[in-house]
Amino acid sequence: MLTTIKCELKSFEDLAHSFAAKELTANREEHDRYPFGPFFDDVVTKAYEVGLLGATLPEECGGIGQDISALCIILDHICAADASLGGIIFTNALAQEIILAAGNKNLLSAMMEKAVDAKGALIACPSFANPAENGVTLEAVKVKDHYMLNGEIDYVVLGGISGHALVPAKIKGQEGYTFFLIDTADKGYAKSEPVVSLGLHACPAVDLNVVSVAGTLVGQEGDGAKYFAKASDRMHAAVAAMQCGIMKGSFEEALDYSQQRCQGGKEIINWSGLRMILGQMAMKVKIAEMVVSEAAQAAENQDRQWYLYTRAAALHLSEQACKLTTDGIQCLGGNGYMKDYGQEKRFRDAKHVQAFLGLAPMRKLSLIRDMLS
Amino acid sequence: MIKPKENKSLLEREPRFEDSFCSLQAIPQIPKIQLKETRTLVSYVRKFNDEVVRPLALKTDLKTFQDPDYLPWDLVQKANEWGFYTMFIPKLFGGQGWSLPSHAYVIEEMSSACVGIANAVFVHYLGFMTVLASWNLPLINRICRDVAEGERTGNPCLITLAITEPGAGTDVEEVELVDRGKVTCYAEKVKGGYIVNGSKIFISMGHVSTWHALIAYADLKKPSENTVMLAVKTGMKGFSFGKHEDKMGQRACCASELVFEDCFIPDDCVLGDSRDFPNSQIRGTGELVNQIIHYVVEVTRASVGAFGTGVARGAYEHALKFASENAVDGKLLINHEWAQIMLAEMYKNVIAGRLAYNEANYSNSLKGGVFNFLQIKPLYYYMKFIPQPIIDVFFVPFYKLKITNWLMRQIFVEGQSLEAQKRCSGWSSIAKFFGTDMGMKNSQMALEMMGQAGLRHESGAEKILRDSKLLQIYEGTNQLNRINLFNCLIARCVPQARVFEE
Ligand SMILES: Cc1cc2nc3c(=O)[nH]c(=O)nc-3n(C[C@H](O)[C@H](O)[C@H](O)COP(=O)(O)OP(=O)(O)OC[C@H]3O[C@@H](n4cnc5c(N)ncnc54)[C@H](O)[C@@H]3O)c2cc1C
Repeated sequence: MLTTIKCELKSFEDLAHSFAAKELTANREEHDRYPFGPFFDDVVTKAYEVGLLGATLPEECGGIGQDISALCIILDHICAADASLGGIIFTNALAQEIILAAGNKNLLSAMMEKAVDAKGALIACPSFANPAENGVTLEAVKVKDHYMLNGEIDYVVLGGISGHALVPAKIKGQEGYTFFLIDTADKGYAKSEPVVSLGLHACPAVDLNVVSVAGTLVGQEGDGAKYFAKASDRMHAAVAAMQCGIMKGSFEEALDYSQQRCQGGKEIINWSGLRMILGQMAMKVKIAEMVVSEAAQAAENQDRQWYLYTRAAALHLSEQACKLTTDGIQCLGGNGYMKDYGQEKRFRDAKHVQAFLGLAPMRKLSLIRDMLS
Repeated sequence: MIKPKENKSLLEREPRFEDSFCSLQAIPQIPKIQLKETRTLVSYVRKFNDEVVRPLALKTDLKTFQDPDYLPWDLVQKANEWGFYTMFIPKLFGGQGWSLPSHAYVIEEMSSACVGIANAVFVHYLGFMTVLASWNLPLINRICRDVAEGERTGNPCLITLAITEPGAGTDVEEVELVDRGKVTCYAEKVKGGYIVNGSKIFISMGHVSTWHALIAYADLKKPSENTVMLAVKTGMKGFSFGKHEDKMGQRACCASELVFEDCFIPDDCVLGDSRDFPNSQIRGTGELVNQIIHYVVEVTRASVGAFGTGVARGAYEHALKFASENAVDGKLLINHEWAQIMLAEMYKNVIAGRLAYNEANYSNSLKGGVFNFLQIKPLYYYMKFIPQPIIDVFFVPFYKLKITNWLMRQIFVEGQSLEAQKRCSGWSSIAKFFGTDMGMKNSQMALEMMGQAGLRHESGAEKILRDSKLLQIYEGTNQLNRINLFNCLIARCVPQARVFEE
């Protein structure tokens, strides 16, 4: 599907594609009702069982040990059907990447060894925030050889359904911030109800209030920003892939509908005004496919300044996806606005995904900062 | 400097002066007191926003997720108590008679606080405009008096427009398309009335309204010349409600299915049958139907532009508040230059949206526009200051007379030139698609500025985005409105131009 991605990854494409078709498409609207309907536990469990939660996790940690291209292929196909599961895979992978960037493979392998179900394998994190940008609200105090965390932190994604959470905290008296892994079963771990949000309804976030929760240090004290930057540079390619998938889903639905729906005595696809909208959508989708595969390749090959490609890809495709998905609704007229079709969900999801990894305008500015440095 | 004849021909060149400077031409003719009225209304609606809309906006939205069967009775009750449903109905029909053009400002104001609630209040005027455009005075009067009575007794009486069908959305908005479409709502003439079969969908506020201006067809093969406008009352035998839709946004305002099964509508509830329209000098039957549709949308599409402008403003206000209170990179967002530029862009979008719906409004105040008649100064002041009972005694009895009906047709049907119709319709389309595109733009921008914080329901910003999208779809999709603009104001100067012929 993604043009230049190596063909030995075809098996991931097949896996993700058939998973999406079997588990996601039919019940998409129902899954999207969360938190006003049941959570799709069974789907997350199956995703865990087939390895979708460990694509980039090294084999010695119990993962599949693939690089970012495989993750992109998976996210692309999953998000074309339902971006909520994509959000879960993404957030979990981001947490794993941060821990790996900190050189703490051992933490992950210990955790995965103990995990007996999806919950045990999932790691929550505030995947929409760049802690350096928003400010860090948790405080960590070193007590002998371990750390105690206190404070409140907003919008921790998966915080209500995971076994662990990766959170940034400030150690008193220090510059910068530090990542800690905490156990969600800890007595002092109090979570809000799932936050009612714009999109990705089945990828829920909670607000946390932690009181004397034991935290395991991830990497070095004060180096959180370094790990976040490293992980997020790679994960920007994944954001781009999610948007690419959402765009494809929206385009295909629109293309399909406009061949069925008649107005003015013919299928609406035969009005050139509508066909032009479809043409613009097709153009965006095809460019998105190229952009994702090139960005993922650049990251894998560690090409010079590869991180500029991944970030540009995420920013650009997010903008394109937000535009494309409004057209995706528009092509269906009134029906596009209703929950019975996937289009309104894709529109919400695209806007939601745009907010991953921090404020979009700030990420744009950071391109120039990093080009100059 | 220039001879009158030359002057005329120069000004008739495209872009025609008449179409380009509506406000400049209209303002001197408008009664001065209208400004005062508008000020009063804007402050009144601001108070309503503080006391009703803002406290209910997010709560109601959330409620609709928790309870899919929710219908906005509570909102309707409030809006009724505050007099919104009779506010713009002329005193001739028992309403409060506030100047109709002011309704757009009121809409913008309320939409900036919650466009879902604003729609729940003002879509009633879409119904009202449709009833009005029939120029059938006795029936207009009867329906509007019901609305007034509903206000007096605390039993809200709302009007809907029911035109969209499962198989025909865009098609029913355009007389040129409707004959090629698949309309199914059939009105058969029988002794003493009509029997209707078929269904209508997406009818805003259907379940909670009392009167429905139903567009049906006496011949499904040639609907353009066989259009029947009926006033259907909730409770009539053979008329029932189907489901109401599960929508992305504007969830405070239900969208209903209306089902007609051998529903008998008596003659006194017939707003008009195009087959009975008297011959017109300048329009054939299809064009007369087209004129009615356009009379409605000339006002309501401009109103949707005001909805869009209101949304754009709400989004801007949310972004401004957020930027003023939150730090990014150790500095208040509002003090980042890029954010200031973004806010300025959003501010501009609001202003430009407002200018567009204003201009459309002024176009409706010019000769041939629907506001023009009621804005004739002596009539305006007379209506404003004369006590209601006098109107009831000295005007209402004349509604039934043939001569009155003839007069109405002379003023509104024959009295509207094709040029004026095109000017009004073209401008309302501009206001509609521009204002609503601005609504979409600003709601997207607000979320970009707010990032994670904007995603949360309680921020209100994500709801604005969800709400905003509808505006680009209903009252004719924005594409249809672009085509209508082309048709009204561009195609006329290119004789070889054809619309809907590809
Ligand atoms: C929430 C909601 C509330 C509504 N309220 C009301 C109401 O109160 N009363 C009422 O009567 N209706 C109402 N509507 C209906 C609304 O006016 C229609 O949805 C709208 O006119 C579009 O029609 P459609 O949904 O059938 O789309 P379609 O007409 O099927 O259009 C689908 C797509 O095809 C495009 N298209 C269609 N024909 C052409 C063409 N000839 N050339 C180029 N492109 C074309 C459209 O632009 C659109 O992108 C409401 C709709 C919604 C969603």
